[in-house]
Amino acid sequence: MRSLVVAALVAAAAPLPAPAQQAGGSAPAPSSSTPPTPAPPKAPMGSGQSDAERKKLEEQITRELGAAGAQPQAPAQPGTQPGAAPAAPGGGQPAAATGGSPFARLLLIPDISAIGSAAGAYDSYDVPSRSPRAGLYSPPSRPEFSLEELELGIQAVVDPYVRADVFISFSAEGVDVEEAYVTTLSLPASLQIRAGKFFSPFGRQNQQHPHIWDFVDAPLARNRLLADETLSGPGVELGWLAPLPWFAELKVAAQTTVPMAADSPEPTAVARLLQYFSLSDATTLGVGLSGARRREGAGAFRDLGGADAYLRIRPLNTRAYLALQGEVYLRRFRGVEGLDAGTEHGWWTQAFWRMNPYWGYGVRYEEAPAAAVDVTGTERRIGAVVTWFPSEFLRLRLQPSYDRVGGRDGFEALVHLEFGIGAHGAHPY
Amino acid sequence: MTSCRIDGIRHGRGAGTLALLCIAAALALPARAAAAFKVVTTTEGLAALASEVGKGRAQVESLSRGVQDPHFVDANPMLAVKLRNADLLVDVGLELEIGWLPPLVNQSRNPDIQPSGKRRLTAATAISVLDVPRGPVDRSLGDLHPAGNPHFLTDPRRALQVATAIADRLAALDPGGAQAYRANLAEFGKRLEADAARWQGQLAPAKGKKVFTQHRTLTYFFDWSGIDSAGEIEPRPGVPAPPSHLAELVQVAQREGVKAVLVEDYYDTKSAEVVVRHAGAKLVQLPGDVGAEPGVTTYEKYMDAVVSRVAKGVQ
Repeated sequence: MRSLVVAALVAAAAPLPAPAQQAGGSAPAPSSSTPPTPAPPKAPMGSGQSDAERKKLEEQITRELGAAGAQPQAPAQPGTQPGAAPAAPGGGQPAAATGGSPFARLLLIPDISAIGSAAGAYDSYDVPSRSPRAGLYSPPSRPEFSLEELELGIQAVVDPYVRADVFISFSAEGVDVEEAYVTTLSLPASLQIRAGKFFSPFGRQNQQHPHIWDFVDAPLARNRLLADETLSGPGVELGWLAPLPWFAELKVAAQTTVPMAADSPEPTAVARLLQYFSLSDATTLGVGLSGARRREGAGAFRDLGGADAYLRIRPLNTRAYLALQGEVYLRRFRGVEGLDAGTEHGWWTQAFWRMNPYWGYGVRYEEAPAAAVDVTGTERRIGAVVTWFPSEFLRLRLQPSYDRVGGRDGFEALVHLEFGIGAHGAHPY
Repeated sequence: MTSCRIDGIRHGRGAGTLALLCIAAALALPARAAAAFKVVTTTEGLAALASEVGKGRAQVESLSRGVQDPHFVDANPMLAVKLRNADLLVDVGLELEIGWLPPLVNQSRNPDIQPSGKRRLTAATAISVLDVPRGPVDRSLGDLHPAGNPHFLTDPRRALQVATAIADRLAALDPGGAQAYRANLAEFGKRLEADAARWQGQLAPAKGKKVFTQHRTLTYFFDWSGIDSAGEIEPRPGVPAPPSHLAELVQVAQREGVKAVLVEDYYDTKSAEVVVRHAGAKLVQLPGDVGAEPGVTTYEKYMDAVVSRVAKGVQ
């Protein structure tokens, strides 16, 4: 696996242009607050050189340096990290750097964040026997509080070529490195490689950390068909952004996964095509198709399929939005003894309306294969969520839901508190 | 060209897809077309400055619209598509776009627009920054900008500094147009100088008078115009005002003769209206940026609107 990554990196880095001669190094020095008269800009270095000449020279230099060693791309010119540098006190001149910057160590600290969640649960029924699932629930008819999870995020650029993102989860089950991967920043041809341990590029919600879900828990169908927590594992992923006028990204990954607690680690191939279209200034539609094949011992496989859609309506001049989304999952075992029972499927769909910066409301409907000890067929659940956001860094949720499986009813109520501190990288859409 | 080695992997389907990808990737390599020089900015204000400087040569596009609150733009992947072929990305900096720009830059596959890359210009590096917090900072102070106030284009001096930085960078990246960029900049600078004199004249009676703002969006405007801020409707950045704070503002307004409450049109005006009603002041709604209102299509028109409304409101 590792050799593949290296090979790909080397192959990709080889044809890269050598350092650009004309560094765009004419970023103006911060000027004082006195009104400036536009000084005649200095002539950029090498302005007489045409692009073609430079290209030729580059090729020549590439030949001279020989094909043996891959020539790494020149690091981006070390400029001031925008925003990160200790700014000069308002309006004044920067202090003379006698003895260097006292902030040097601080500037190299990665972004560190912690997201904590605590919850109270009440279930009217015995969840492990009737509706086994991951997530929050209480013993039958006895409310219970729990510290659900503390997610520690450590994120930074490693060097001019890759960035690293690490997420460590502390919970009642112990400590787990949920994700720890590097992402390339400068591959050519719209390619991007991730390597390390990461959530599989399968479906929409599987790649999200719980703190960006609108609902407190994962849909049943995802628990039952994909993985009891998250389909993830160590491996490598290649992503390609197609040169199209809309967003179309194809990802293929090879990982070693353990979807369910009882599974043993096995190689898994995953592929996902994700596309986004602008329907209007306010409306964006995302559609994804996913497939995966996991080895299940000699000559046997577990095939997974999925389709997902996301529609977001947000008038530009407000912070209110409506988000509709849903996913379908398919699973089929091939050549596995006792499990060749055709294709199982499950799905969920939800709507979330963020009324204003402080309040949001959602409803969700789900169907999944029943997993109760004495029941087969379909389990259905309907839930609602009311969310209060006192600030961007805190949210409180109330989520009642009603579950029906094998002709029996179950009621659940969850209250959930979530806080985020520190610098947590923004999430993809 | 690109050689794709796929030995070492034995998933039939995975290998096939990889090979296909490599072919497609090789086809896509000569992506950067020789057409117009593509400048992408994060806000319409920056786009307006880039358009002045790049007139006749650069094609300028903004990721957000003037009607949007620039703090809360969605990290919509459609925007990553615009960044993919950007020859230059101009952002504001000072963490204004922290909630949405970084994932887009990473998705875009454009290596040169990463922070401090050669095709990335962070406008804040061209100006002297105000409202830099002193002493310890934490979120009990609200959602403040720890690196300083990013709303600096309301000061025409700083706008010109940013335009100059854009011209310098354009000239370096597109040497063939260097002369045109410099000529455009000189012409824009001259016009702006005349405008600034006119605007200062309009604002002269308001000098030294006190106003409220919704958020600290006009610090640089005050720095330039000599109008004073008596406080903000938000008790802390991004925190809604409780009645106690509004009552205090009403008292401050009466004590210090605050005549106007200035609110950008992407903010809700409910709290400001309360203060205005009780303090006998005027609510002055301002375009939040270029493009925020029909007709506000250039930087000069934007400043015209801001200056004339403030001058009228403070009377």
